[in-house]
Amino acid sequence: MTQPALTTGRRALAAAIPSTAAWLAMSPTALGQAPNAVNFIGWSAAVDQVRAQITAFQAATGIAVNYENFPFAQYRTALVTRLVANAPIDVSWISDAWLPEFAEAGWLADISDVPALMRYNAEAAQYCTQSMVYNGKQYGLSYYGDHMSFMFNTDMLARAGITTPPTTWEEVVEQSLRMKAQGIAEFPLLLSLAADTWLIEFVSALTFSFGGRFVDDAGIAVMADANRGAVRAARFLREAIHTHRILSPGAVETGEINGLRAFGSGAHAFAIVPTYRIRALNDPAQSNAAGKIRLALMPKGGPTGTHDTCGWIRFYGMTPGAKADRNRRERTLRFMEFFGGRDTSGNYSMQKMLLTDMGLPSCALPLAQDPDVISFWQRWAGGGEVVAQQAGLARKKDVISPWFGEWVETSNQAWQTVCLGRAEPEAAMRAAGAKWTELRRAFR
Amino acid sequence: MRLGYDERSAAVLVFPVLAVLLVVAAFPIVYSFWVSLHDIVLTRPLRRPFVGFDNYLRIFDDARFWTAVSRTTVYTVVCVVVTTLLAVLVALLLNEVFPGQRLLSALLLVPWATPSVVNGLMWKWIYDPTYGLLNGLLVQVGLLERYRVWLSDPDITLLLIANAAIWKQMPLAALLMIVTMKAIPEDLYRAARVDGANVWQRFVHVTLPALRPGLMLVLVYETMISIRHFDLFLIMTQGGPGDASFTLSWLIYVETFRSLRFGTGAAMSYVLAITTFALSWAVIRFLGKRL
Repeated sequence: MTQPALTTGRRALAAAIPSTAAWLAMSPTALGQAPNAVNFIGWSAAVDQVRAQITAFQAATGIAVNYENFPFAQYRTALVTRLVANAPIDVSWISDAWLPEFAEAGWLADISDVPALMRYNAEAAQYCTQSMVYNGKQYGLSYYGDHMSFMFNTDMLARAGITTPPTTWEEVVEQSLRMKAQGIAEFPLLLSLAADTWLIEFVSALTFSFGGRFVDDAGIAVMADANRGAVRAARFLREAIHTHRILSPGAVETGEINGLRAFGSGAHAFAIVPTYRIRALNDPAQSNAAGKIRLALMPKGGPTGTHDTCGWIRFYGMTPGAKADRNRRERTLRFMEFFGGRDTSGNYSMQKMLLTDMGLPSCALPLAQDPDVISFWQRWAGGGEVVAQQAGLARKKDVISPWFGEWVETSNQAWQTVCLGRAEPEAAMRAAGAKWTELRRAFR
Repeated sequence: MRLGYDERSAAVLVFPVLAVLLVVAAFPIVYSFWVSLHDIVLTRPLRRPFVGFDNYLRIFDDARFWTAVSRTTVYTVVCVVVTTLLAVLVALLLNEVFPGQRLLSALLLVPWATPSVVNGLMWKWIYDPTYGLLNGLLVQVGLLERYRVWLSDPDITLLLIANAAIWKQMPLAALLMIVTMKAIPEDLYRAARVDGANVWQRFVHVTLPALRPGLMLVLVYETMISIRHFDLFLIMTQGGPGDASFTLSWLIYVETFRSLRFGTGAAMSYVLAITTFALSWAVIRFLGKRL
């Protein structure tokens, strides 16, 4: 009985080997991927808009696109593992925060020698271009550029008898206490301080508005410096939670998306929110506070305060593999221009679609004059003046470095311990500064 | 020694499974050990020097490691002790015959059958400071004056996560206890009654000694599971707030998948694995003799 069974098994095995080999050797086409296509990876945002633009790109150029996306929270790890494994990626969305480590690792190809793409710098906001430059070379074309905005609920301010929004953080405290006393809001100020990828952008905006910074121009950590570091901003957070009680202790578990929902619920009067969220916040289908949310310049804090905020960009970056191969390079550059620059009709179609559909601000300056864009800002933000003024005061994160990915874990923990009242602001910033110095030395 | 026909057939039949095990189990174990001896940082792909046991030594100099050890210890002790106690109590209840006992036994399995991710999300919502069920309930019954934060309170974060874990793990432990209890001969209880033993004495002198195999299994299993828990921390707190739920498994995740330091991440994984084995061995060796 055994022998025939074994024979059958061997036959089955013999049959299985060639078919397995055939499967392993399958071409990209057989695996559902178009050959001679642009392999593009992004995170799962604006998926419908990306697909629409891919369709337009394919119609205009005849070049197919293999598009993959991952949630933003896992994106960096997913992308890095693919790059380490030499996966056939041509172009991907890159955060400005990852540029130095990706460039140092040799995963990004510079486009400084590609005049067709470099010409867009003349039409781009300066901080956007600067955010794509590392060691004098530019590594991409912008997907979008945004900054943290200070937003307020006009209805709640009116109910409290406040006619003008605050211009300093001291006024934010004063107006918040007034609202608390009148029973308008338990926690008038909303900040999303969960230890996720957004935290550094929130605390950078706050730090800049207090006239501080994390590192100086030479890359030396100054975050623990009482006057020019991040200590004043950290102390403000601690007092807002524990002394004034205008900010919920639950802020440390509030992620950006939950903060958006909470602000949209109409329970909070003031918030720091990425500018592109203004559309959702004023959309009646998505927000109870629709029509009541407006923008003001980031309040100044302390004696050296400014209206500065934290800006960031996300961009299309090309891999060295794509650049090295003439055909892949050609396809990839056309893709990058079509998505990050002007399409074959000469329009910033992708940038405009991202703004009008999603609210994602563009780095392309000519779009500011576009009637549709003007009417977008008018409809959703009551005008684009504050947005434009704040964009001009946006600064890129000063902690962007090859060791940023490692350092930010320590930094996030330091800010949270301050918010919890478990560490003095000076001590927490010293810990974050020490980690910065350690990683900086190790990198050399 | 020449193998007979049966032995050869057996070897041929066993070989595919053995090969699969070598590929999916033995190779990763050996490879991850090799990785732990190198300073591998994914973002520096061209530089992966051999550092011997430096990664292991570095772990013990890392303040985060000792924070993680202390959090893991508290979490594991709470989970194991409470789960075991509750499991024994539930098993004692369900070992009795009463109306609805079968339905209750079936319902007991619902938490166990709930996927870990769902369990984490469910408890996160229950603890939510603005719309959570816990706040709503406590305010309605008058035990709380106003809504408060739960997971953001670093003094109780670990206990709240442990509660979510216990809710899910306890049913399986209770089930194991019930199975063990069913095997206790009724004669022993009759004899104890004849000797005048009351309920407590019957539990201490008859039930508990007979439960030893089940208790051992539950203790070892719960220790191994709790010490390596990760999913609840990922979903509920991400190791926070601050470092309030910064456990060993979370530290390994941060080191490996956020900092992308695969060398130290692998070394930490080995430390955790060895610790888990050592603890399980200790439970079996020392508690086994006493129970």
